[in-house]
Amino acid sequence: MKAYVILLSFLLLMPASAKDEQPEIMAIKAGKILTMSGSPITDGVILIKDGKITDIGTGIEIPEKASVIDAGKKVVMPGLVDASAAPPVRGDLNEEYKEITPTIRISTALDPQSKVLKRIVQTGITTLYISPGWRNVIAGLGAVIKPTGKTPKEMIIKEDAALTLVMSEDSLYGNQIPRSQPPRNFYFRRPTTRMAIIWMLRKSFFDTQEYVKAGEKDDPDLEILASALDDKIPVRLNVRRAINIRTALKLAEEYDFQLILDECTEGYKVAEEIAEKKISVVLGPFYYYPRNLSQYEGREVNWNNAGILTKAGVKVALTSGAQAQSIDLLTATAFAVRHGMPKDEALKAVTITPAEILGVADKVGTLEKGKDADILILSGDPLKVTTRIEKVILNGKTVYKAE
Amino acid sequence: MKSKFYIALIATFLTAYVINASARAAPVRKKLAIKAGSIITISGADIKNGTILIEDGIVKAVGKNIEIPWDAFVIEAKDRVVMPGFVLAHTSSGLDRANENVPEVPFLSTFDSIDPVSFYFEDSLRDGVVAMLVLPGNSTLLGGTGTVVKPHGLTVEDMLIKPYTGLKISLQPTGNTSRMGHMQRFRRYISDLKDYLEEYEQRKADVKEENKPFDEEIDIRKQPMVDLLNKKLTAFIYCDIAADVPKAIEIHETYKLNTVLVLGPDCYKAVGLIAQKKLPVILPPQLVVWETNEETNEEEMKVIPMIFDKAGVRFAFQTETSQYGSRYLWYQAATAVRYGMKREEALKSITLYPAQFIGVDDRLGSIQAGKEATFILLTSDPLDAQAWVDKVMIAGEIVYEKEKDQRLKKLIEKPEEVQKPKDTD
Repeated sequence: MKAYVILLSFLLLMPASAKDEQPEIMAIKAGKILTMSGSPITDGVILIKDGKITDIGTGIEIPEKASVIDAGKKVVMPGLVDASAAPPVRGDLNEEYKEITPTIRISTALDPQSKVLKRIVQTGITTLYISPGWRNVIAGLGAVIKPTGKTPKEMIIKEDAALTLVMSEDSLYGNQIPRSQPPRNFYFRRPTTRMAIIWMLRKSFFDTQEYVKAGEKDDPDLEILASALDDKIPVRLNVRRAINIRTALKLAEEYDFQLILDECTEGYKVAEEIAEKKISVVLGPFYYYPRNLSQYEGREVNWNNAGILTKAGVKVALTSGAQAQSIDLLTATAFAVRHGMPKDEALKAVTITPAEILGVADKVGTLEKGKDADILILSGDPLKVTTRIEKVILNGKTVYKAE
Repeated sequence: MKSKFYIALIATFLTAYVINASARAAPVRKKLAIKAGSIITISGADIKNGTILIEDGIVKAVGKNIEIPWDAFVIEAKDRVVMPGFVLAHTSSGLDRANENVPEVPFLSTFDSIDPVSFYFEDSLRDGVVAMLVLPGNSTLLGGTGTVVKPHGLTVEDMLIKPYTGLKISLQPTGNTSRMGHMQRFRRYISDLKDYLEEYEQRKADVKEENKPFDEEIDIRKQPMVDLLNKKLTAFIYCDIAADVPKAIEIHETYKLNTVLVLGPDCYKAVGLIAQKKLPVILPPQLVVWETNEETNEEEMKVIPMIFDKAGVRFAFQTETSQYGSRYLWYQAATAVRYGMKREEALKSITLYPAQFIGVDDRLGSIQAGKEATFILLTSDPLDAQAWVDKVMIAGEIVYEKEKDQRLKKLIEKPEEVQKPKDTD
């Protein structure tokens, strides 16, 4: 009775919004469904209720009151998961008052009104990982979000998803004071060499170990680091050169934390070593030639970095790149296949694999019963450049439709 | 005595001939036949399981049931797609420096600046480009004349397809000049040139009256601009923003030029004007741009080729080496097809249309009897991201083979042996 009254008052109070509300049950009929959890389904049906997939397969009876999207012979696949994307926030991503800032959270700067969100949705990305910038040695905490929602809270699906560490030269850049000149900044910044980066990381971990041993509970920075060492928060370490990748592997062993390698431009050189340690890799944006990398240190590029890592047995996620401007993730996948990545692995590398790396595989990444209804309807094979994303469904609601 | 001399002479010739013959590289076979799984002719319908007959580097016949002469060398390409090589109508890459820092230098030529060993040309050949117009950059008012080259050869002379093609005019002001000053500089140059030509004609008439031979030639520094006004050269006018387009059209109409517009990403806003004047257009490399709608404050996607296609403007694509994907002409065409452009038109925009814009369509741009035997052999459909250029044939000679491409191998294959360092600690 009480529920009935509430429902009735709700309907009376919001007659205008009732029109926008979609019917409870939605059904998608499609010629080909790439579930990413098993073999593709031909002429299948997906049933959606309350933003979740309630059933998927062939020969499913569509309830009478369901709204039906008939995709004809088109291809349906799960929404893309981008394990490293440009964050929809306003302002700078780097907090430079200190070099070690584990408590800085990107989620606090999220802007639900950001114009970038529409762009993200149109490229088929329905889940993305965002992180503070790479100017600090320990940059802060990243989050997994969906590009929809009215408040930051509605957008976030996993707060404190990973702790960002930077071992690449980004954390050095600009710190060196030109000789015989005063410091450029009042906050005179520290690591000016690669040695100092490693030293600062080691020092932080050592301090954390001492802190934990002493049983203290009063330092928020070290609390975060302690939970990272305790494997409660995975560590995303940004590295590019093979030598740094080896150092990262060594550090992870020394301090025993759960490591995820970020960017990993020269990963192909150490593929076996990464595979041996069972460490996942989130690849950075793709560059054709070292000569395009004047500002980046990864000087030896292999176009087939993703393919070589995959074949060695490393879990690889492809990304649009946190620093790059509007790279289409599906196109990136097509090019990864062009350069030698196996087809199935490439599609997994933008769906289920990043979902697993980000720890949200229970919600997104495949089309399965009980998962979020994040679905793309494509005009054809997802690995063709001529294929267009025609519809994006996020949490069971159509958020983008091509004209 | 005399006969001895003749014998010596003949011996010398013979030796010279033998040395010459052995020094020559693999000779171009006179008669060739390519049996292809699929031929995209561009000029006509696609042909399944067709044959192309080639003689002395020229296409003799193309079709389905063509008899292959007994003395023709047959290239079996049953699992290949053969199509004309891509043509790039505008590039400033592969130059040692693209822009002169003096604004009025129409007498310069990219011929003097092309670096044949630049990676850019090697990449272009690998990506299926067979002809490109190399023009000065977008930062000089009267930048100089261009050169049509093929990306193959160790000297510019080897690469040359057509010298002295097109003159680059840039309406983008550089340095401290304003757009007003920039345009004024252009008008002043032309009016000075017209004064000079008038005086020249006057002198010519004066000398003629005196019945003396007139041997004064036009100042070579002014010659390209004179050729431009006489329509012997095509003007490639670069418009940086949409506001430059009306000015380009003013120049085109006032001086009655042959014009091709080279557009910046903002210029799609002037599409109506361009369509009305029916000018050929070279699109910017970035084909999809995002614009903020000032009323709704929302971002809107603009697909540039679609805007021009719907307006009925004929265009060619260009590429950009730094940007992902758009370094390939086929990718540009595929992007346009993704948003609804007709496949045939998109393919023409990377072959026949650019060939027309740069004046080499009598030789290149389609597979037709009488045109040059310049093709690419692809592993699958050209608009498919999984298609590789397997072979490139220029004038009946195979100049690129993927399996022999050592640099590509290094870029996509696993390095042979990377030593794992021994742990010393």
